[in-house]
Amino acid sequence: MKDNNSQKHKAIKILSESKDNKLVTHLNSCVHCGLCAESCIYYLTTKDEKFIPARKVNLISSLYQRYCTFTGKHFPFLTGARNLNEEIIDEMVDQLFGACTLCGRCNMHCSVGVDISYVVRAGRKMLSEMGFVPATLQSTVNAAIQTGNNMSIPVEEFTDTLSWLEEDLRDEVNDPHASIPLNVQNTNILYTLNPREPKFFPLSISAMAKIFYAAKEIWTLSTSMYDVTNYAYYTSNNNEAEVIAERLYNEMLKLKAKRCVLAECGHGSRAFRWEAPNYLRKSFPFEVITSVELLAEYISKGRIKLDKNLNKETITLHDPCNLVREGGIIEQQRYILRNAANNFIEMTPYGIDNFCCGGGGGQLSMSEYNERRMKIAEIKTEQIRKTGAAIVATPCHNCVDQLIQIDNKFKLGVKIKTLAEIVADAIVLE
Amino acid sequence: MTYYQLISLIAFLICFLSLSYHFFRLVRLGLPKDYSRKTGNLKSAVTYSFTGAMNPLKKESAYLHLPTYTAGILYHTGTFISIVLFFLFFFDIKLSYALRLILICVMIVSGISGIGIFIKRTMTKKLRLLSNPDDYISNLIVTVFQIFTLIVLFQESFIPYYFICAALLFLYLPLGKLKHSLYFFAARYHLGFYYGWRRVWPVKSNKQIK
Ligand code: SF4
Ligand code: SF4
Repeated sequence: MKDNNSQKHKAIKILSESKDNKLVTHLNSCVHCGLCAESCIYYLTTKDEKFIPARKVNLISSLYQRYCTFTGKHFPFLTGARNLNEEIIDEMVDQLFGACTLCGRCNMHCSVGVDISYVVRAGRKMLSEMGFVPATLQSTVNAAIQTGNNMSIPVEEFTDTLSWLEEDLRDEVNDPHASIPLNVQNTNILYTLNPREPKFFPLSISAMAKIFYAAKEIWTLSTSMYDVTNYAYYTSNNNEAEVIAERLYNEMLKLKAKRCVLAECGHGSRAFRWEAPNYLRKSFPFEVITSVELLAEYISKGRIKLDKNLNKETITLHDPCNLVREGGIIEQQRYILRNAANNFIEMTPYGIDNFCCGGGGGQLSMSEYNERRMKIAEIKTEQIRKTGAAIVATPCHNCVDQLIQIDNKFKLGVKIKTLAEIVADAIVLE
Repeated sequence: MTYYQLISLIAFLICFLSLSYHFFRLVRLGLPKDYSRKTGNLKSAVTYSFTGAMNPLKKESAYLHLPTYTAGILYHTGTFISIVLFFLFFFDIKLSYALRLILICVMIVSGISGIGIFIKRTMTKKLRLLSNPDDYISNLIVTVFQIFTLIVLFQESFIPYYFICAALLFLYLPLGKLKHSLYFFAARYHLGFYYGWRRVWPVKSNKQIK
């Protein structure tokens, strides 16, 4: 074990001094029926019993039993209560970090209603308290805290990228005044980005800039805080998550924007829309919406005009877990695709029942689990293959990354696009 | 009051007090607090959590495992009826012949379901690895209680053993997973709150997803 008993105590305190009604409830609710097994991509693709969601819950509840219940303290064998030692810590790291994408699919299908991913996050928090977050994942958090974005992109590199994107935009819309505004105060929108965009997928920034242009939106990007992601959500280190969330919160206040629009990023949207107010323990004085909601709004209010014949190929949709099952954005992306593409077809299952692509939960950052990550992707691969689609749309850059890897490995021959890219392709400029 | 009634009554009170402790602890911890802006309707989501979301067509734990799910439902129905019957027997309330016959049929089916679930737990590797002694004991003690209920419906002279069995069940209940008789409701509430806050529940039909 990395450190002494005090770290262990701190970890146990997360359970024993929990004032969290929800955590106490879910730690006491699993009946070990095992019926959640077939809802989890890890078990479905490997048939390894250790990946059954209830086994992950069990790791934490066995500690809860041992340190927080009468039975577990006096008759540990009866309820399988376990001591917090190196053996269980290794299992926790492997199963809670390495074998759960926090997709939440099992929660909905559990026979009782155990919020399994919530319990897994409590387990990750314990590991974080003891210093057992995988170094690969922690380094992403550290980069964000130290440099302001998780890819450590220097400001000059970022602004350079934006300036050539701005030139491209001017050419495309044939307007020398078209712009990508930076650090402008009092706009309607402060738009955020996933750092993968300036680094690897700048075309998705162009797409969104074109949409803003078409909608005649008053918007801005910030050069000091544009990162929508918050990987500390994945490590469950609330102090670090708070630091990252507070930066974006402060940037909103500084630039006095009316709305914070979160780029296409599932966990980033979740982390700032739903979790950040709780990290910071305050309600936000501004509106926070996802770009998916914004695009649907532009279309429904007629602020942008689309010609769906400009997107002729068959498009299917991958629903990011954090946006859909965990974020309630279910209809908007379908509305967008029906308006922007000629032929949109659903995967089976879809919506809140959709399967995770395998890249969630911080898996894309934890290279030590790459093989496992690609194994669990078999389910998504088959879902895509069965649609026969030429394009997979998804409003999440993490999912884009995983889907590109799936396409390469399983030779699907599909293109992966964000919703903004598809909408931008269908835009008719007036 | 006979000595065996007294024993079962004391055991029931201990059980009731223990569960009350758990209940009031949850109450003391308070309702969930969420600072984010709510987009859904909590009341309809929590209601949905206890109704629509429990629909076997909506849950893989039900429709992918229909025999086990059905056995589970029958078993829990039998348990609930057995608890009600405990009070009827305790207060010596007589049942009509027809009602006895119906209850006997129900208890036979639920007892068989309980045994089936026990066998499945013992025989399936996946479940064995997930189980601890409490899972087997809980299953056994409830099944035996149901069987004793069944016997009493036939044979009233069995009642002393029945009350002792009931006492054992009540004493064991707060120790292990049988506490889910309370926590189940809290879990469904929390799930409804969580998904309701974010407008995930109640689930819209495909027609509504336009
Ligand atoms: S949250 Fe997803 S990956 Fe994690 S245990 Fe549940 S189904 Fe499996
Ligand atoms: S379905 Fe729910 S209650 Fe059953 S084993 Fe899985 S987590 Fe536990």
